[in-house]
Amino acid sequence: MSAIDYGERIPNNVDLAGDRALQRALEQWQPDYLAWWHEMGPEASSSLDVYLRTAISVEPSGWANFDYVKMPDYRWGIFLAPRDEARRIHFGEQAGDPAWQEVPGEHRANLRRIIVTQGDTEPASIEQQRHLGLTAPSLYDLRNLFQVNVEEGRHLWAMVYLLHRYFGRDGREEAAALLERRSGDGDNPRILGAFNERTPDWLAFFMFTYFTDRDGKFQLCALAESGFDPLARTTRFMLTEEAHHMFVGESGVARTLQRTAEVMRELGSDDPRAVREAGAIDLATIQRYLNFHYSVTIDLFGADVSSNAATFYSAGLKGRFEEGKRDDDHRLGGMTYRIVEAVDGRLAERDVPMLNALNEVLRDDFIRDSVAGIGRWNRVLEKNGVAARLVVPHKAFNRRIGSLAGVRVSPGGEVVDEQTWRLHERDWLPTADDRAFVASLMGRVVEPGRFAGWIAPPPVGVNRQPIDFAYVRFG
Amino acid sequence: MEAAVIVTADATVEAQKQHLIDPEICIRCNTCEETCPSDAITHDARNYVVDAAKCNACMACIGPCPTGAIDNWRIVARGAAHGVDAQLGWDVLPPDDAPATAPAVAATAGAVPAVAREPRGPGATVPPASAAHPQVNLHSPRAPARAIVAGNFRITAADAASDTRHIVLDFGATPFPVLEGQSIGIVPPGVDADGRAHVARRYSVSSPRDGERAGYNNVAITVKRVTADHGGRAAHGHCSNYLCDLAKGDAVDVIGPFGDTFLMPDDPAANLVMICTGTGSAPMRAMTERRRRLAHGEGAGRLMLFFGARSAAELPYFGPLTRLPRTFIDVNLAFSRTPGEPKRYVQDRMRERAVDLAALLADPRTHVYVCGLAGMEEGVLAALADAVRAAGRDWDEAWDSLRASGRLHFETY
Amino acid sequence: MTESPVDFRTEPARYRHWTLAVDGDIATLTLAVAEDGGLRPGYALKLNSYDLGVDIELADALDRVRFEHPTVRALVVTSGRERVFCSGANIFMLGLSSHAWKVNFCKFTNETRNALEDASRHSGLKSLAAVNGACAGGGYELALACDEILLIDDRSSAVSLPEVPLLGVLPGTGGLTRVTDKRKVRHDLADVFCTTVEGVRGQRALDWKLVDALAKPGRFQDAVAERARALADASDRPREATGVALPPIAREVSVDSYRYAHVGVAIDRARRVATFTLRGPSPDAPADIDAIERAGARWWPLSLARELDDAILSMRSNEPAIGTWVIESAGDVAALLRVDAALERYRGHWFVRETLGKLRRTLARLDVTSRTLFALVEPGSCFAGTLFEAALAADRVYMLAGGDRPPKIALSAQNFGAYPMANGRARIAARFHDDAAALGAAHAAAGKTLDAGEAAALGLVTSAPDEIDWADEVRLALEERASLSPDALTGLEANLRFGGAETMDSRIFGRLTAWQNWIFVRPNAVGERGALKVYGTGVKAQFDWDRV
Repeated sequence: MSAIDYGERIPNNVDLAGDRALQRALEQWQPDYLAWWHEMGPEASSSLDVYLRTAISVEPSGWANFDYVKMPDYRWGIFLAPRDEARRIHFGEQAGDPAWQEVPGEHRANLRRIIVTQGDTEPASIEQQRHLGLTAPSLYDLRNLFQVNVEEGRHLWAMVYLLHRYFGRDGREEAAALLERRSGDGDNPRILGAFNERTPDWLAFFMFTYFTDRDGKFQLCALAESGFDPLARTTRFMLTEEAHHMFVGESGVARTLQRTAEVMRELGSDDPRAVREAGAIDLATIQRYLNFHYSVTIDLFGADVSSNAATFYSAGLKGRFEEGKRDDDHRLGGMTYRIVEAVDGRLAERDVPMLNALNEVLRDDFIRDSVAGIGRWNRVLEKNGVAARLVVPHKAFNRRIGSLAGVRVSPGGEVVDEQTWRLHERDWLPTADDRAFVASLMGRVVEPGRFAGWIAPPPVGVNRQPIDFAYVRFG
Repeated sequence: MEAAVIVTADATVEAQKQHLIDPEICIRCNTCEETCPSDAITHDARNYVVDAAKCNACMACIGPCPTGAIDNWRIVARGAAHGVDAQLGWDVLPPDDAPATAPAVAATAGAVPAVAREPRGPGATVPPASAAHPQVNLHSPRAPARAIVAGNFRITAADAASDTRHIVLDFGATPFPVLEGQSIGIVPPGVDADGRAHVARRYSVSSPRDGERAGYNNVAITVKRVTADHGGRAAHGHCSNYLCDLAKGDAVDVIGPFGDTFLMPDDPAANLVMICTGTGSAPMRAMTERRRRLAHGEGAGRLMLFFGARSAAELPYFGPLTRLPRTFIDVNLAFSRTPGEPKRYVQDRMRERAVDLAALLADPRTHVYVCGLAGMEEGVLAALADAVRAAGRDWDEAWDSLRASGRLHFETY
Repeated sequence: MTESPVDFRTEPARYRHWTLAVDGDIATLTLAVAEDGGLRPGYALKLNSYDLGVDIELADALDRVRFEHPTVRALVVTSGRERVFCSGANIFMLGLSSHAWKVNFCKFTNETRNALEDASRHSGLKSLAAVNGACAGGGYELALACDEILLIDDRSSAVSLPEVPLLGVLPGTGGLTRVTDKRKVRHDLADVFCTTVEGVRGQRALDWKLVDALAKPGRFQDAVAERARALADASDRPREATGVALPPIAREVSVDSYRYAHVGVAIDRARRVATFTLRGPSPDAPADIDAIERAGARWWPLSLARELDDAILSMRSNEPAIGTWVIESAGDVAALLRVDAALERYRGHWFVRETLGKLRRTLARLDVTSRTLFALVEPGSCFAGTLFEAALAADRVYMLAGGDRPPKIALSAQNFGAYPMANGRARIAARFHDDAAALGAAHAAAGKTLDAGEAAALGLVTSAPDEIDWADEVRLALEERASLSPDALTGLEANLRFGGAETMDSRIFGRLTAWQNWIFVRPNAVGERGALKVYGTGVKAQFDWDRV
């Protein structure tokens, strides 16, 4: 691999061609990555020409380059947002110090853990989604799936860059391990629970990209505030790509709702069975999918009272969402935050030290952002004259992590006993029947401009191309 | 935000082109706000919006937007831009062509910023209804197509000041399908003074879809040797000189094709009004040649050409053009530098032919194409407007109809 | 109490508290502490009580006897005061001292008492405590370190360890350990002894094995002479030899550095790191015994040992905040291996034996130093044989792999038992917990130069980053280390460095010292009304009665 033309093969703005340490690390890692892509990347996709966006520089004009690419030839690059020489740590105990350009030894272990945890989610989601290409509802959607996949791949590269560049041999070992874990492999699982669930169908994929990639957005936003400048700059650039993933989710669900609403209007009925028989996904099923993905995703923010969160913040490693736009002291000592927990069969609020509640703070920011998008989904229903609305379940519903873990709470926010839960679980969470039904709708549509019957076409194409553009070409 | 002149029936109002974000498509991802170098984009819990007072239409936000919601433009009267507060309350964009305040205005937009693609301009953003489906971006700078020069002919008179050439590129076995009106990119070899690869230049194809030589996989382009910039100062156009100096048999790296709106209708009954200057004639030649080869007789649409140059000697394709039968194409030439004659521009010719023009424009099968230097847009639009109004019809309505149905196309540079 | 730096260099002419007299093959060290001679202001050294300054002289005197007086075969330790042998560490000094000072002081006094036993065990220099008066606390601990204790039987002079009842602390300078491990006093009797303020005298002291012999005042000097004679006769020190003078150790000291002929210390206060650079011998170092004797104190092994010893002691006492010592080396590996060969060949010669002893004690000081020790093996380094012991003593060894001038290490015979640690084991044996395969492989590699790959394969280095990783790897390791709790690191390092078997010495440095240091920070000792604080004020100590 010594003959890699680094600038061409791996677009970057980190002077890869002049950085021997990085080259050496990548010489080993890059072939391993490609081997992993072939083994665990999108199934049966290697020979397809996909109309993909490739970042070739961090300039606004440079990172949205559209072209047909075979995915294994995709030019995964390494990009950091431009450096601000005067940047200072702006929160935590070292606020005011110049931002770190190297890993402070004191924080090596924590930073590595943060980066590895973030990095592990990227290949994990590709693994989770690897079968979806076989059931894409249109070429447009197939292309969007692949775009998400290659950009998750690039996010992995971004995290691996940090490990390789800043963490020496440990970093190389961790980078190798990122290619060795496998989503859903009981003996060798991905780090976070939600990333070991399969993404079985496209509705799940859209929900995943809407909710779980939004978790990614908030994590990246918090890391983009980090005092470790290379991490902040890396994640800031990743955010621009993460936006596409959330777009796929938000528009995917909106188009599903659009189609459902059209069918309901045609039928003049809101009977789920009738909607299903007409080949669309009934609103109740969509609501149950929403409940599931929402609750699983908010668990990803971690325990509501966390000493790690406090440590990461005080040390200047991980800030809050929009830290720079908040006008408190950015140290948070003595401040409190209200969390929800279950006490004696009822949900109760309790004030805890703000520093320990930072996971919850980020979770609440996420919830606000998610709810706004669900409001936009409801406007689709509204415009189509459908009276029903999607709702966000209570924060305590179906939680597995934190003080609400294991407490049985209805989507409406009432603590219920085990028997009641069992009775209503099928109304609240997707059932095997729901999944089987959604799966039955999944069939590959490959004719340009055609869409599966359960989903409406998008209002505009990608990169101003027409909707019937050949977004994927089969060789 | 940039200025333009809005011409109304009875007054001229300063107008501006306002950048807006479609709240129905936007997913509130913050990418545009993060990208904007002017801090013109802001948001609340509901919407992301553009502050017209700060936006300078630099287009930096357009590429990064994952949804396309960012790429919306409205012509509004100056001082009557949609305010930030109003935008924050929107659920949908205001209808196109309904300005923020008062009179129904028509507009001519100024030059499009040189970045990325054009915002909502005077022309259509959709191709003609009957246009063939174009192939685009088949060959990228990373993997350009290799073509061989099959011919390089000077098409301006040997003693003319300008050296314009008709260059035929043969792609051999490499697929390179083009439609009339599309362009291709030429990548000059080597690197510039800073060691960077040369920027690719785009040229409209001047040959029809079945090849310069029918049935062959070749494409013609029209290249003027650049020896001065737009201001007349001496300048050496690297790519144009490279091309003009090519010899038969030389290899050339080509990317593209590009363009999916400036396309001709496949409907043989459609009329084509073609307005061009200089090398802007390339797509007109392509379309004309397409029609000529189809050689429809009865029922074939009319072709009307307005073609401007400094002199007959500098008019590309002057010879072949003048040999085409008048029944096939209605050619109107305008020379701005013919000694002893007043300067005449294409819009002057158009005004002379206003009656015929208006008659054609009244036909829903008429498609209008404008290609040439950017400065011609304004005059051409005004001439079109005058012709339509003189016929007692409403230009705004006609203009809307032309744009909405993909029948008015600009390609200016 | 850290105003001016402590200087450990002294010589007999400058002693204020001890006198060293040599008479044939018997030397006598007489303690007559100058009351106003305390190292720090604020206390009087009454009743032959001592502070660090007194012990610095004792340590120096022991070295002098070993090098400058090779034919001395027995050493008498006695008092120049009436009716008091030694009353131990000065209580007022302890009451005034910071915790760190107390701990460092105790460590040095322990090392000095161990040096007495080391002289007996390794060099045949036998010692007699001629206890000619009251012998309390640290005084008795000094006597315990001698081969024999002769107690004057005057019906009043007693040996005692009154720390527990009097001061609320332990007899921490080896007292508790030696009473049991060395003198084999029954633990119940030791319990009575250690809680009896007035101690034990006369026949009972003999019966309880607290002393070896008694002598009435009239016979005392004769008895001392007899016992010393017998000890001298049992010694294997040479009958005839010319001593090697120990000139003052030359050094240049600046705010952030110590510079010696073969040792350099550079302090980086911002990072709290000191870099020790140990320079190997020159290629023309003497190889035969005559030349070695002629070189004397200039002979590289002795010069290095004395300088390193001084550097360690100076840094320990004067730079408590410099928590990490990076050990580097420089020089010619082949030259060093030749010196090692001479050390091995002439180890029976008294001077070489003493030089090995000085190296052994110095390296052992490194083992018990409460600082992180990281050795860095870089191009131009000289970690071979004797100097590799410094790397083996380190908590971690980083060795550069590859590069333009790949560094090499080498083992020699000197790595396999010449310099045992306080627990009696060679560092390499301790490193591998006596694993025969690992030791065998290392032994087979002795004499060969080893690159990083070979060194890593043999388990001799912790990590072998290549030149691309080196700077970051080392920087990160040092920064990370500097961020950890110094107390936890002290405990961690002390535990990990001394795995496996214990000796009396290691028990003193481990168990006894750890308990003592714990007691030293407890309010019952050092609180407002703690026993150590109120001693001598007439105020009764107040205890928190909860057992912990």
